Amino acid sequence: MESFAYPHFSSIAHVALFDRVTNAGEIRARIVRASSLEGDEGDAEREAVSFAFIDARLVTSVLHIQTAITQALLAAAQNTLRTKTVHSEVIWALNPSNNITEALRRYGVTDDSTALFVIRIESLASIDVRSRMSAVVEGTLVPMSALAGLTDWVAVKKYNKLGGDPYIKEIQNDPAHEHHLIDNIVVSFVAMKSVSG
Amino acid sequence: MALLPLPDPSPTAALVRSSVLISQGAEAKVYRTTLHTGGGPVLLKYRFSKQYRHATLDATLTRARVAGEARALVRCLRCGVSVPGLRFVDVANGALGIEWVDGKSVRSLLGSGDEGERYREEDEDIAPAEDEDLFVGYKVPKDALMVMVGTEIAKMHLADIIHGDLTTSNMMLRHPSSTMNPLGVHQLVLIDFGLAYTSTLAEDKAVDLYVLERAFASTHPESEPLFSSVLDAYKRKMGKEWPAIGRKLEDVRLRGRKRSMVG
Ligand SMILES: Nc1ncnc2c1ncn2[C@@H]1O[C@H](COP(=O)(O)OP(=O)(O)OP(=O)(O)O)[C@@H](O)[C@H]1O
Ligand SMILES: [Mg+2]
Repeated sequence: MESFAYPHFSSIAHVALFDRVTNAGEIRARIVRASSLEGDEGDAEREAVSFAFIDARLVTSVLHIQTAITQALLAAAQNTLRTKTVHSEVIWALNPSNNITEALRRYGVTDDSTALFVIRIESLASIDVRSRMSAVVEGTLVPMSALAGLTDWVAVKKYNKLGGDPYIKEIQNDPAHEHHLIDNIVVSFVAMKSVSG
Repeated sequence: MALLPLPDPSPTAALVRSSVLISQGAEAKVYRTTLHTGGGPVLLKYRFSKQYRHATLDATLTRARVAGEARALVRCLRCGVSVPGLRFVDVANGALGIEWVDGKSVRSLLGSGDEGERYREEDEDIAPAEDEDLFVGYKVPKDALMVMVGTEIAKMHLADIIHGDLTTSNMMLRHPSSTMNPLGVHQLVLIDFGLAYTSTLAEDKAVDLYVLERAFASTHPESEPLFSSVLDAYKRKMGKEWPAIGRKLEDVRLRGRKRSMVG
């Protein structure tokens, strides 16, 4: 797990990458149930799953995640959140379109997710985030560098509508170059989502 | 629920306070910043509001400029033109976070002897100081640099992007050892797309070139051979698109001369 402080937002983001996740369907069901539970039980359950769960396949780099976190924090600070929480806003920021359901379906946890980024954003006071993550996710905590083997570049191109770009086709036989460029483009998409379209 | 702190009305202003000012233009202040702990450097371009303009009009203009610069950069990236990517956009405050380019501007590489001296000292061990034709620490012959400039501008024009402010300050040579340079070679990077727009017109491309030609003439001694190698590389890359642009360039030069005779 890595933690990044955003002093100008008085916030900190804890980011963990889990591989070999075996209970993705259960996590998704818990999130859905938590939103409708009432009373103390509901509060406790919502707190227990208060993370952004992101399928790692569509993530191209840690910078990609960090950029979505920055833009979500900005929206929270400016009262322009498009979704209910700063965590769902991170997921919304990753998806090129404005459709929230689509963002959750593509970038959120789905029943067949096996690698997940788990993110918790909060004020600078620290809690034991790591054990709270492990209480929800059954899987192996791996270093961020493991992402290199998890990104599904074909899906990244498809969902970011880059597959038809002539220049990207031109460099497709040079994966290092192609991946570096696509990463820079999708990170830029996330950063400029508020002025795109 | 995790309690989020009370929203700071302007986190971007707080970010600016913790950043280092690197240049102050007419429209924007430019800073070097980091967006979070452990993050790499990011260039922050902050368009301050003009007190003498109408507030609403000002906000609309700023928004258009920020959006325009962001779109032009992404369009360039997608077409394989070497430009920095975007890292942060706060359109409400006219702030743009741009990938940091680790290198030097072409202007300073071509510039006066003083700067060369400074670099000679820093990079003594790797610099072939006796070879006048190489930029110390960068090991790129002047002519090769001009070829890179012409080629990159041609790539941009082939993508129908007009820069709008081509000068040797608005292009940088990325150092080959930079971590953000996976290709491990020198890379010419075009920057400052604040005035960019898209156009297919040969005339617009010709004006872009003319602006650069004037910039060379006013900034660099002995600029003629330099600019002519830029233009040669540009022609080669533009191929069959060149003749129409070349004719327009002649027109534009003629108009420029007439104007300077009158004015
Ligand atoms: N991405 C970058 N990485 C590193 N340095 C940069 C980057 N972009 C710009 N700079 C430096 O900052 C200077 C000013 O940036 P830029 O030209 O984008 O702003 P500007 O306000 O439009 O400038 P001006 O009005 O002086 O042309 C550049 O000349 C360059 O030295
Ligand atoms: Mg400039």
